[in-house]
Amino acid sequence: MRSDVRYVRPSSLGEAVGFLSDHGPETKPLAGGTDLLISIRSGELKARYVMDVNRIPELKGIAMTGEGLSIGAGTTIAEIASSETVKRLAPVLRKSCLSFGSPQVRNAATIGGNIANASPSADTFPPLIVHETIAVLSGPDGERRIPVEEAAAGPYKSNVGSRELIVRFILKPSEGRFFEFLKIGRRKTLAIARVSMAVLAEKDMRGAVGFIRFCLGSSTPVPCRIVEVEDFLTGKILNEAVVAEGGRLAAEKMIEISGRRSTTVYKEPAVKGLFNRLLYPMVKND
Amino acid sequence: MTEKVGAIGSSIPRRGALDRLTGASMFSADFRLENPLALRAVRSPHSHARVLRIDTEEASRMPGVARIFTARDIPGKNLTGIINKDRPLLVEDKVRFVGDPVALVAAETEEAAERAAGAVNVLYEVLPAVYDPADALANEAPLIHEKGNLLFRRRVVRGDAASAFSSCAVVVEETYRTSFLEHCYLEPDAGAGWVDADGTLVIIASTQNPHYDHSEVAALLGVEDGRIRIIQAATGGGFGSKLDLNMQGFIGLALYHLQRPVRCVYSREETFIATSKRHALIMEMKTGAGKDGRLHAMKCRILCDTGAYGSYGIAVASRAAVHAGGPYEIEHVDTEVLCVYTNNPVAGAMRGFGTPQVAFAHESQMDLLAEKLGMDPFEIRRRNALRVGSVTATGQKLEASVGIGECLDAIKESYEKARSARSDRGDSPFTCRGVGIGAMWYGIGNTGMQNPSTAQVEIDLDGAVTLYTGCADIGQGSTTVLAQIAAGTLGLAPDEIRMIVADTKLTTNAGATSASRQTYISGNAVRDAAAKLVDVLLTEAVDLMKVPKNSLAVEGGFVVYKGDTDRRIAFSKLAARARRKGIPLRWQGYFDPVTSPLNPDTGHGEPYATYAYACHLAEVTVDITTGEVTVDRVVAAHDVGRAIHPEGVVGQICGGVAMGVGFALMEEFKPGVTASFKDYHIPTANDMPEVVPLIVESSEPTGPFGAKGVGEPALIPTAPAVLNALSDALGKRIYHLPANLERVLEAANKRG
Ligand SMILES: Cc1cc2nc3c(=O)[nH]c(=O)nc-3n(C[C@H](O)[C@H](O)[C@H](O)COP(=O)(O)OP(=O)(O)OC[C@H]3O[C@@H](n4cnc5c(N)ncnc54)[C@H](O)[C@@H]3O)c2cc1C
Repeated sequence: MRSDVRYVRPSSLGEAVGFLSDHGPETKPLAGGTDLLISIRSGELKARYVMDVNRIPELKGIAMTGEGLSIGAGTTIAEIASSETVKRLAPVLRKSCLSFGSPQVRNAATIGGNIANASPSADTFPPLIVHETIAVLSGPDGERRIPVEEAAAGPYKSNVGSRELIVRFILKPSEGRFFEFLKIGRRKTLAIARVSMAVLAEKDMRGAVGFIRFCLGSSTPVPCRIVEVEDFLTGKILNEAVVAEGGRLAAEKMIEISGRRSTTVYKEPAVKGLFNRLLYPMVKND
Repeated sequence: MTEKVGAIGSSIPRRGALDRLTGASMFSADFRLENPLALRAVRSPHSHARVLRIDTEEASRMPGVARIFTARDIPGKNLTGIINKDRPLLVEDKVRFVGDPVALVAAETEEAAERAAGAVNVLYEVLPAVYDPADALANEAPLIHEKGNLLFRRRVVRGDAASAFSSCAVVVEETYRTSFLEHCYLEPDAGAGWVDADGTLVIIASTQNPHYDHSEVAALLGVEDGRIRIIQAATGGGFGSKLDLNMQGFIGLALYHLQRPVRCVYSREETFIATSKRHALIMEMKTGAGKDGRLHAMKCRILCDTGAYGSYGIAVASRAAVHAGGPYEIEHVDTEVLCVYTNNPVAGAMRGFGTPQVAFAHESQMDLLAEKLGMDPFEIRRRNALRVGSVTATGQKLEASVGIGECLDAIKESYEKARSARSDRGDSPFTCRGVGIGAMWYGIGNTGMQNPSTAQVEIDLDGAVTLYTGCADIGQGSTTVLAQIAAGTLGLAPDEIRMIVADTKLTTNAGATSASRQTYISGNAVRDAAAKLVDVLLTEAVDLMKVPKNSLAVEGGFVVYKGDTDRRIAFSKLAARARRKGIPLRWQGYFDPVTSPLNPDTGHGEPYATYAYACHLAEVTVDITTGEVTVDRVVAAHDVGRAIHPEGVVGQICGGVAMGVGFALMEEFKPGVTASFKDYHIPTANDMPEVVPLIVESSEPTGPFGAKGVGEPALIPTAPAVLNALSDALGKRIYHLPANLERVLEAANKRG
């Protein structure tokens, strides 16, 4: 019951991890609360402690470091959307943040919460994946680094241990490349993505695809990079037929991973369609 | 009588707008009561089950619990419903839908109430349930109510449709389906109450019909009328759902037994599970026309799923039957609507009472006919549009104010422009554009039923005028409009009229805020009361001024001589004079629209005294690769008779378009699945098209200053227009609402 939940608010990472090492399994970290409060209210959440992570300085901030572009797990979606650094080095992440929820949600929701919640339709997942992001976790045994796609085990199942926190994300910066993030929702805003996609790409001197990272969201248990599509397109000059074949491959791969379900009737053509739209600017610019 | 300039047809600041903006308005949940108990219903998790035992023992002993009520505690008649009484306040024998209340907890806090509600032990014997109205009519179907699963049947027959089809050049026959919808008013249902010093049970409620609430609560409790008082609080929308008794009965029951202040505030989830929905309709429609596009015959069979209880089901079925042909003259009509019980949630009133659903069908049919005839969709509508002198399917001859032709003409230029512009695909190879028209008619007031309104206008000795009306303003602006009508009649400025509104102790019955009836019907009652007072004032002035009554007028708080406006006498003086003579200063107004009951076999009669008309033009862009739809623009022409408050009309139109876009593209309440806004989508500001409202004023002779109504009409043409535009864009039609991503993409992929 709601009043049985106890609230703690550590002011450093050390303090937080200390608390988690004692009480981790009965504790839920609280960042923006835009997912957590819903499950608290519905009674789904049975945690004894709610640990507010908003006063932990180590979880904050956006900076270019020697390791790459570092984004604190406690950074809000609004902060990312308005960051000049992100705009320059990870514009595809920025784009996903601009279409995320509503202004109110963006002001509260954090990127760490988005990943830890492990929704298949988490909007920041595909951009982080195409940036080959490393999630930095901290726990009683110290720091652990995992590729961001490994942060989720399945729909709403996190691989972040109950005694761990996500501290930050390290993205491979990508400046000047073609990028796009698209999502389909049941309405124009404030809608969970039915299908989403992120891409980073670059043409070589011949005008063929020299570099490409493609991630499909909302269609598989965990958003995933589809290497088959990347491999197929690499080295090819993009035209409508090639892109259509890429879309077909993406849909095929989705069905391979998720199996055929009632939603596949829509998602199969929608993935193909959205893929065409995703890469169309690269075709058109020839 | 002169009209005070500015009173009628002017968009004066809305009554209470500042309070809303500053947060000063008191909604039901805002009342600070002394130590109130919180009420929480225990609701059935089963859609059909016998209640074998309700064990409240353990729950009653939980901390903070004051009492737990069951059906046995209801002292009066445990059966409610505005049209047919079939719904218990608390279920006694069996539950009929998921959400049916079986017990009511009163506790010191919301949390204690919630906890105890979870601890009430109900032993159910689950019964077979039925969720499809066609299945519910089958012989072997589980019986939901003793009298059978068919609640009501309405036929409307004119001419001989069966044989008329053979002489038609073209005939189209299709089946259309719509889904259950949730109203999604901003303010979840809420109420509060206390017992006055004199023993009156006072109930504050978010409601559309305080006088109905009053009689229902009195009957439930078996108390005299005078012991109940319902006061409508500021109400954050209703759209029909707050016409039912939602929490009012719970509050009454608790007050009766506990004599302590109580509150009952629904969560959004509770409004979703417990309150009524828009009826899902299955409509088989066959329409035939001649070579010239003239409609000859229409045959229609409609199944109307009213869910577990009647609520407004009979009204929805009746209205759907009357309106099934659309705003067109059709000589041969054969319509049958069956309103059927199922174990789905209760379907009740929702903006339009079945008309939005049938408009989707008849407007799709019009486009299909036009296509077969090679005729323009505009042209076929213009040719068939009702006009003065037309006879409707119920045999009613329309005498005046038939503005559908004018509405069509009003959008014509925009339509032609849009048609010629739609072929350019814009800048994406993945989209295509379409243009569509939707038209509608809508009878003002209840269908073939007496539905009078009353009002009082009173002048005091210093000349101040007070209007008493039972009419609930739920955000649509009736309080402002009624003040304008009183002011317009009395020659005053609207803000000079004091208003006492929607309080059953102080005001008399104005009927429901539904059926787009308050401007026309209550407006007329107000005008009647005000006109009687004006007559008294003029009569007194005749004696003093020694001029004929018809040379006098009211203006600015004076009776003035029209020949020389400097000759004037203040209202206050005339009021004092009347009082001395024993003439009342408070006058009663009454109006009941002229209607006649519909013949049970043929549907013949005069269901309404007047009709509103409208048509919308929608322009859409469809992404054919993903099924995403953008409604770019809606041009909305509405014949309102006379716009008493033009901004109010525009507000209704814009809100109606928003609701229509939701109905067309995304809204669907799936019983047993949909729980909250998490899985029910209504349009956001970003989904809104540009709206161009066009007010058409085809004056209604029996209306107050010529006015009719617009509340429901605003919504009705949008979805048909959007669906016709989609079909124009895709070359493929969608017959099932909502036209969501899946249905649009499927249609896009099937197109030739
Ligand atoms: C109206 C609305 C609209 C939404 N729209 C979108 C949308 O468009 N796109 C989208 O992707 N999502 C959307 N969401 C979902 C939600 O906002 C996001 O998932 C958000 O990023 C969650 O972040 P938060 O900071 O609010 O997380 P919280 O709710 O605070 O936490 C979410 C989960 O993550 C855990 N957690 C939080 N921080 C950490 C950490 N540092 N380390 C380990 N675990 C942690 C929590 O314990 C919890 O399990 C929406 C939600 C709402 C209510």
